[in-house]
Amino acid sequence: MNLVGHLQCFVAVAEELHFGRAADRLGMAQPPLSQRIKRLERELGVRLFERSSRRVELTAPGRLLLEEAREILARVDRIHSLAERARRGELGALRAGVPADLTGAVVAALIAEFRARCPEVRLELREIGTSEQVRALAEGALDVGVLRHPCEVRDLGLGSMLGQPVGVLVPSGDPLAAAPEVHLADLAGRDLALFARDEAPGPYDELLAACRRHGYDPAAVHEARQPQFAVGLVLAGSAVALTPRTPDTPGVTWLPLVGEPLLLRVSCAWRRDTGHEHAVAEFTAAATGVLCEQAGMSPLPSAPPRRVVPRPASGFLA
Amino acid sequence: MKGRMDSRLDRIEAAFRDAGVTGYLHAVDVDSGREIGLRADEPVVLASVFKVPLLVAFFRHAAAGRLDPAQQVTLRPEDRCAGPTGVSTLLDEVRMSLRDLACLMITVSDNAAADAVFAAVGPEAVDATVAELGLHATRVVGSGSDLHAMMLADGGVDDLGELWARLGEPGVLQRLRALDPLSTSRSTPREMARLMAKIWRDEAAPPAECAQMRRIFGLQVWPHRLSSGFPYDDVRVSGKTGTLPTIRNEIGVVEYPDGGRYAVAVFTRSLLPTAVLPQADAVIGTSARLAVEALRRPLPGRPQARG
Repeated sequence: MNLVGHLQCFVAVAEELHFGRAADRLGMAQPPLSQRIKRLERELGVRLFERSSRRVELTAPGRLLLEEAREILARVDRIHSLAERARRGELGALRAGVPADLTGAVVAALIAEFRARCPEVRLELREIGTSEQVRALAEGALDVGVLRHPCEVRDLGLGSMLGQPVGVLVPSGDPLAAAPEVHLADLAGRDLALFARDEAPGPYDELLAACRRHGYDPAAVHEARQPQFAVGLVLAGSAVALTPRTPDTPGVTWLPLVGEPLLLRVSCAWRRDTGHEHAVAEFTAAATGVLCEQAGMSPLPSAPPRRVVPRPASGFLA
Repeated sequence: MKGRMDSRLDRIEAAFRDAGVTGYLHAVDVDSGREIGLRADEPVVLASVFKVPLLVAFFRHAAAGRLDPAQQVTLRPEDRCAGPTGVSTLLDEVRMSLRDLACLMITVSDNAAADAVFAAVGPEAVDATVAELGLHATRVVGSGSDLHAMMLADGGVDDLGELWARLGEPGVLQRLRALDPLSTSRSTPREMARLMAKIWRDEAAPPAECAQMRRIFGLQVWPHRLSSGFPYDDVRVSGKTGTLPTIRNEIGVVEYPDGGRYAVAVFTRSLLPTAVLPQADAVIGTSARLAVEALRRPLPGRPQARG
């Protein structure tokens, strides 16, 4: 018998607990689906489902076999995707994503470090925002990424959390540029240039909330997909930019914020089942090292405890 | 027509995105069955929305004479489930009828009251109710106390305050089975909207019991979610919320003075692990309004009197 095909039917029925819906999902009619389940039950010598006119339920052996069946199907999928990648000559390549705002020097150092650690694996590096990385990781289009937090990391493995203090970029002629550091509230009245929200909505919302909390509620936020666009807006006097320390550029000055109220958090993240565990671990070690040494990031020993004052409307099971 | 619904779904999706949440929605015209949905068949964490199938099971039991809704129950403080509202917050022993406890479990999401009702009804009865109503993707797994214990165990913490404080630590949110639809009480937006529609059509229980349930849903106190989307004095919004870290839900029914009534189920998951996130609460109302407005538009070639 075609065991894989039958297991697909079993898993579909087990997940839908309804023969009609499972048949829809599989794109087949209900009678052949019922037959396949019966045949599988005969083959295995156990009943997988209790069926009555009202409901379909997994039996105890059915529940036990469901996990195994899922695992087999996942492995079969992997065989297909590995074969597909072999056909396209991609095997031996690690598909990695990094955010757009890394400097050229950091990207080059990351590639060099990975090559030194893992010479046998070709690195396919893509410049890609956090939201898109999360999607690509989930779809299997990416093996490992460098994500900004918070983001949706369910089902992903995570590397060390790194922190990067955010400062402000002002025109060198701005009176603020004379001070060694700036209070966020001193930025009041100026427009803000910031990375695009759709690239990393979690960090964007968190950063703007922190700005308002500290007395800076910008009237307009200009989203910059390229750091140079933000620099341009600052040079023109149209906005100030909140950004990690940038390479020195004539005409603009980067200043730290008093008390480091804004921190960008970054970590590597990977799918757990890529078959590239070794390469993923080497990439993570390389990226973590380079980001710390050359991009001004530092490991966060542990997240600072949050202070959460309970309110009834957001309390447990409200 | 299809194009119009699609553009409406785009607007709903954009509203969720702007609020920083992943949203799951289903809305259905209680009387015509006309519907609109976004990820309507994906499994979602019920959180306190589990109290709705529990309420239905309670009233079906009451109608069948298997329990006396007026029976008095004594709740001792040391036995009660933790929670931010109702009997859960009180200091002393409380004596109350089962149906009043059922009222508190919906109107203020009282966890102690819900566990007392759950104990009276029993998990088998809830399972049976869910099955009899054809809600095959819906499972109620344990009481509020069970969920509380599971969250503390998964988080490795002694109380929920500590859990909130540590929620920013990498991996903590991922470890919480209470936030994974496959490991906790779950359903789909479509099934929860269908359940509310059945209550409003007197199909979830006998008419007298459905009427009692509708009264209770209409008394729910929370203004920040579904209700906030319908700032119209002549529109009735009845519902039940569900809340856990990053999870904000509400299912309910919106009734217009022209007789139009719509069952809506909205489930969200936020990117930020922040307890207070007003935009994530409000988008439940906004998305529900967008969905209900789509259902209230006359179908092409079929003029309707409603306005």
